[in-house]
Amino acid sequence: METIKFDQLVDAKGLACPMPIVRTKKAMNELEPGKVLEIQATDKGSTADIKAWAQSTGHQYLGTVEEGDVLKHYLRKATGEEKEEKKHPHVVNNEELQAKLTNKEDILVLDVRESAEYAFNHIPGTKSIPLGELENRLNELSKDADIYVVCRTGSRSDLAAQKLTEAGFKKVINVVPGMSEWTHPTDSLSK
Amino acid sequence: MSRKLAIIASNGGLFDAYKVFNVATAAAATDQEVAIFFTFEGLNLIHKEAYSQLPMPEGKEHYQKGFEKANVPAIPELVAMAQEMGVKLIGCQMTMDVMELEKDAFVDGIEVGGAVTFLEFAKDADVTLTF
Repeated sequence: METIKFDQLVDAKGLACPMPIVRTKKAMNELEPGKVLEIQATDKGSTADIKAWAQSTGHQYLGTVEEGDVLKHYLRKATGEEKEEKKHPHVVNNEELQAKLTNKEDILVLDVRESAEYAFNHIPGTKSIPLGELENRLNELSKDADIYVVCRTGSRSDLAAQKLTEAGFKKVINVVPGMSEWTHPTDSLSK
Repeated sequence: MSRKLAIIASNGGLFDAYKVFNVATAAAATDQEVAIFFTFEGLNLIHKEAYSQLPMPEGKEHYQKGFEKANVPAIPELVAMAQEMGVKLIGCQMTMDVMELEKDAFVDGIEVGGAVTFLEFAKDADVTLTF
């Protein structure tokens, strides 16, 4: 089982409802926006509870992995990124990207979401470099490649596209909106 | 998107306490504004001495083991947690007068008020529950 990266851990093992939610809430208050929380619980109802909680508080539920008796839930703290203005001039929509993938064009799709988001749902054959790691990992990318940058809503990928362009990458295109409305096939960590 | 939950607690058994405080803490953890109005036997749920030894309903004693096994928090722990998350606890003045109880017999930090105090809070609540 591959391990999923997280920024903070909530150990709610052995605790009954409503404790997993209460602990989650407390941890989430201290977490920075965009960071990932792992919640370990043994309460079987916690999956439905965490999902519903995320929905009503506006945080992003990424998924759940079952390991023996332990349920590991992953949440990403809300950032309000939907409202940010996008600045990178070269943009395609999801359909245009899918068409390029279907035609097997020679492009690199770079996914800049957190690795936990990537693990639960991503476009097959894409490369994962979270936005926060991008600057240190530029050497993994070719400056002449056609790079299509994808995230959840098009905001982080916009920042990533600007960074890449500043660093001398020539053909960088932001995919808007990205995974939040991606309806084509994906690879996913199965439950 | 803050929402409001208003709860009336009028029964004083252990199960009643769990119903009230589980829903209240879960709601508070979901960023809802919560107030509980404790009236008649419901006052047991926040009484300093009574709330740590609330009676199991008759014939349900076999639940005791289950509570321990599932590691369900004790009522005083849930009350403290509810308060920490900003749940407003309102003791019913009228019941307290009838039972000759003073505010200091109850957990610290409660408010005391009449039905109007609660109604004022509940008038624009999204959900109102009675236990």
